Amino acid sequence: MQKRSDETLVAYLDGELDSAERQHVEAWLAADTAARDRLAGLAQSATLVRSAYAEIVNEPIPERLIAAARGETGGSPAAVPHEAEILVLKRPHRPIISMPAGRWGIGVAAAAGLFGLMLGGAGSYLATGGLNSTNSAAEQRLAAAAAHSTWLDNAAGYYKLVVSAGDSMLIDVPAGGDTGEALQKISQNLPQQVRLPDLKPWGLNFRGARLVVVEGRPAAQLVYITDNKAIGPLTLVIGASKLPDIQPTFDRRQDVNMLYWRHHGRAYALVGQTDIGYLWGIANDVAWQLDAI
Amino acid sequence: MSFRWKQAEAPVRAADGGDPVSQRFSDQLIAVLPRLRRFARGLTGSATEADDLVQAACERALAREHQFQEGTRFDSWMFRIVQTLWIDHLRAREVRKEDADVAEERLGSDAPVRTIEARLALGEVRRAVQLLPTDQRTTLMLVTVEGLSYKEAAEVAGVPVGTIMSRLARARIALQQHLETGGGSRRSLKNAEAQ
Repeated sequence: MQKRSDETLVAYLDGELDSAERQHVEAWLAADTAARDRLAGLAQSATLVRSAYAEIVNEPIPERLIAAARGETGGSPAAVPHEAEILVLKRPHRPIISMPAGRWGIGVAAAAGLFGLMLGGAGSYLATGGLNSTNSAAEQRLAAAAAHSTWLDNAAGYYKLVVSAGDSMLIDVPAGGDTGEALQKISQNLPQQVRLPDLKPWGLNFRGARLVVVEGRPAAQLVYITDNKAIGPLTLVIGASKLPDIQPTFDRRQDVNMLYWRHHGRAYALVGQTDIGYLWGIANDVAWQLDAI
Repeated sequence: MSFRWKQAEAPVRAADGGDPVSQRFSDQLIAVLPRLRRFARGLTGSATEADDLVQAACERALAREHQFQEGTRFDSWMFRIVQTLWIDHLRAREVRKEDADVAEERLGSDAPVRTIEARLALGEVRRAVQLLPTDQRTTLMLVTVEGLSYKEAAEVAGVPVGTIMSRLARARIALQQHLETGGGSRRSLKNAEAQ
């Protein structure tokens, strides 16, 4: 059992205590006004720190760093980065105080529920959800929301890579020939077999599949292309998920639209720059073809 | 400031006759760049130094791609490289960070007053973070900003979980005290939330 200390309060806020320890802290807090004030101050300073660094991830990435990540620097003076590429995955409609992926949100949420702290996006969520420290379902929803946001950031980032690479895009498993064999190859790295939705009725041709890493786990990125520039390329990312099923939901990262959903242990994200109506139609078709709805 | 290291450690490009850099590895690296920049900004307190540090980390990562173990967290591996390079740099230079770099932060002249106030206050928070000892600052960035668990942060920093707990508590308390005495930050929270 943790002793009553600032370390314990900080660990409580960070969601690092087990159930018994949490109950112990909550009993302490219920009986001790000074401890509650201490906790509120610690939670607020943590929120400020997160806010102070939140916008950095939305800044354009200098091309020299893109070049470095591609191995085009590294002590070679002749190495000149090719075309500038700026990856900006901004979320314009979200508050400045954002919630990074990770477990810290759980404890903060619990504390906020107890003491009415308003913690940016989490605060408004709590206000509508009536969360309290013992509401594990709400905690799970908060943690899931944080994890999900990062998952979608990555899906949008991989889409940007496809767009920027154009015809020179590297494909792990190209289309043509036996797509069944191709998908078998991709599926070797995934918990379940990937099937290929046929999107030709939508004017989209399967270009190939790439194995990507999302949240530290392998996922398949299926790439579809079209001659229609208004629609542009479209990708479908399929990864594993332990979160509960959800219906197709819209989200956006800068100029990238996404529809995501989860079904029976898999997470799906349909990603493109086409309009949302078009994406909805395709997402429904994909879900129907993959028995993923 | 330069984070260059000897040529032999630099990544070998296909054009130089070596193996091509793995496309998948580069993709992962690009995907994690925004967070690496943020982490580095927290360590260095300077946008320019942070990007130098991230560039050096990318180059080192590519040179040591074979050391990354599939199935482990790529971001944690990169955080560790950034942290190691930064500590090496501090040891080599034995310099103490001064807060002059805050001048690099740009404030839009046409921004609403509320936004300016909020950003000034957030700049104050960043300055407060810079006043923390390096180990506490690193822990604060890994856990509080980047959202790593204590166990993951302990692996990155190469210390026991208990050390992470105590460093984090000390950092958070010192920060809270600084912000309470510094003034303005609490008022700014409303402004920051309103953005």
